[in-house]
Amino acid sequence: MTTGFWHQVAAVIERDLLRERRRGDVLWITIPFGAIALLLIPLAVGTDAALLRQIGPGMYWVIVMLFGVLVAVGKASSETLPQQDASSLAGLDPAAGFVGRSVSSGVLLLIFELVVGLVAVGLYNISVIGIPWLVLTLVLAAAGLALLGTLTGAIVNSTSAGTTLVPLLVAPLSVPLLLGATQAYDGLRFGHSILSWVLVMATVVLIVAMIGVLTARPLQET
Amino acid sequence: MQSQTRIRRWPWIAIGLSLAVAFTLSMVSPADSVQGDLVRIMYVHVPSAWLAYLAFFVTFIGSVAYLITRSLRWDRIAAASAEIGVYFTGLAIALGMTWAKPTWGVWWTWDARLTLTAIMFFVYLGYLALRRTTDDQVLRAGRASVLGVLGAIQIPLVHFSVIWWRTLHQPPSLVRPDGPAIQDPMMLAALIGGVVAFTIVYVSLMVKRIELIHLEDRKVDMESAVERPVAGEAVTAPELGASS
Amino acid sequence: MSGAPLVELSGVGVRIGSSQILRDIDLQIDAGEIVGLFGANGAGKTTALRLIATLIRPAQGRGMVLGADLTSPDRYEIRRRIGMIGHVPGIYPEMTLGENLRYSARLAGVATTKIPEVLAAVGLAGAIDRTAGASSHGMQRRAEFARELMIDRSLLLLDEPHSALDRDAVDLVEGLIERKADEGGAVIIVSHDRDRINAIASRSVELTGGTLT
Repeated sequence: MTTGFWHQVAAVIERDLLRERRRGDVLWITIPFGAIALLLIPLAVGTDAALLRQIGPGMYWVIVMLFGVLVAVGKASSETLPQQDASSLAGLDPAAGFVGRSVSSGVLLLIFELVVGLVAVGLYNISVIGIPWLVLTLVLAAAGLALLGTLTGAIVNSTSAGTTLVPLLVAPLSVPLLLGATQAYDGLRFGHSILSWVLVMATVVLIVAMIGVLTARPLQET
Repeated sequence: MQSQTRIRRWPWIAIGLSLAVAFTLSMVSPADSVQGDLVRIMYVHVPSAWLAYLAFFVTFIGSVAYLITRSLRWDRIAAASAEIGVYFTGLAIALGMTWAKPTWGVWWTWDARLTLTAIMFFVYLGYLALRRTTDDQVLRAGRASVLGVLGAIQIPLVHFSVIWWRTLHQPPSLVRPDGPAIQDPMMLAALIGGVVAFTIVYVSLMVKRIELIHLEDRKVDMESAVERPVAGEAVTAPELGASS
Repeated sequence: MSGAPLVELSGVGVRIGSSQILRDIDLQIDAGEIVGLFGANGAGKTTALRLIATLIRPAQGRGMVLGADLTSPDRYEIRRRIGMIGHVPGIYPEMTLGENLRYSARLAGVATTKIPEVLAAVGLAGAIDRTAGASSHGMQRRAEFARELMIDRSLLLLDEPHSALDRDAVDLVEGLIERKADEGGAVIIVSHDRDRINAIASRSVELTGGTLT
């Protein structure tokens, strides 16, 4: 990979983050949506403090997986055909486009995770433990989900389904991330090693990144 | 592309014969000492589950081969196999639940294998949903094959993570996810007969389904060549106030 | 590159979904040519431009653009030398005109210091910090012309370049087109305005029934 490649990756990240900053979709729509979901759950299952404390981390991760993927297919990261054409003709390597878009989605997902995480900690009285490991699982989950969302977004691009299909495609494939994140939290709580779960998540990140880079060109063909 | 599609009859005969043999074997084999006649569900459930794995493996092979060769033949194989796989996964899950309720007292248990099968069902349901979204054969093949590869490569990871998750949490002792122990040679024959018969059914259905996809694609081709106007013909000179 | 045609299509057809948009296109364009492309609404003119821009793979036939086969991976290498301005602007409305150009420059590996210069060249010197979405259609088009000036292009594909442009901008665009041809590039212009195109084009082709006549 040449310097040109990473320059292009940086240009795409800057573009996506700039567009999101101006639009504010994640800040004003996706994050409030995730937060209100956390508020709805106790209304449905009961407000017993011990129960909420027990199910809280799991509920948090389910919401990250289901709603977080919306960040990766949001308006700020979707492009019209003329915009795609202009980028292609400026020489954008499709693989650089994939990497750049995954990184910017990953950054936004991490913000989503942190804000919604604070809400979850507050509402469910979850204890925050093993911060370095916790941060690592948050980063890996954001990266894995961003890659899955970006890749499936590219798969459905220019088909009639649009982005409505993405959550269905991503949800079953995100199971290792969900299990990795929830089990790692349990491991921290009970003092077990969480290395194997961290490795599972890292493997997902690596594999999806590899598939995305290798298939970027065929997926751009229309 | 204009070549005549061969319509074969032998698959129907093969399906009929193999199912008849499998049915007979499953009926003449003895009832289980503990489960009684319920054990006969296994003679369909186990072969269905086997077939699902086989079918999804073929979808993976077809997807990889399409990405390498760009030949639509491989995409048709992948598509046909995914359809059959989703059907038999659904059947395996439904039969498993039917068996589980009277045996274990619950419809569903969070056994690793069951969970994995359910997740696979949704992965390939998504694959089929994706295929429905475009008529463009080349576009569809390209997109579906990437998903076919992604899905198949993620499955071992799902598999391992689900197994680790289950080994950490002891399953409830009443619910034992192991199938019935096989002690009678007739029961073994019925099970093996079922697996062989379902494999023949799979091959036969594949042949018919690929035939059908071929016919569908030819129909689309012929329509676009004959009936569908080429670009531009949909717009004609306005006739309002025509004076020429 | 000397002597070889910039665009060479033989028997090329394009399908989108189940319909055949273009068929049996034979076209050769040499360096220095300005070619007008005419055709009714929906005749496939935009598709023809995207085909030549290497953005659509041909379903039939063989095509070479700037020495790259339209089906080979080489086409990714020559894309940077093809400029296209379509009906709908390919710029991001949330970003300013300057940021849009900066993005294109970074992708193309062009120094971003050229941006003020090319914006001034299209008469947008004072609009560098204007949000693209809040700019008029004509300003967005001018910004796209600035992008084409900034990235060194051998082939320019213009879809209705005169629409939404005022008198000054039209002069500017025509000057740019002629300069590109003089420099040994080529320009293809899709238009309905035959008189205007015939005045600057070296020849013209007509797209009817999905094929060139």
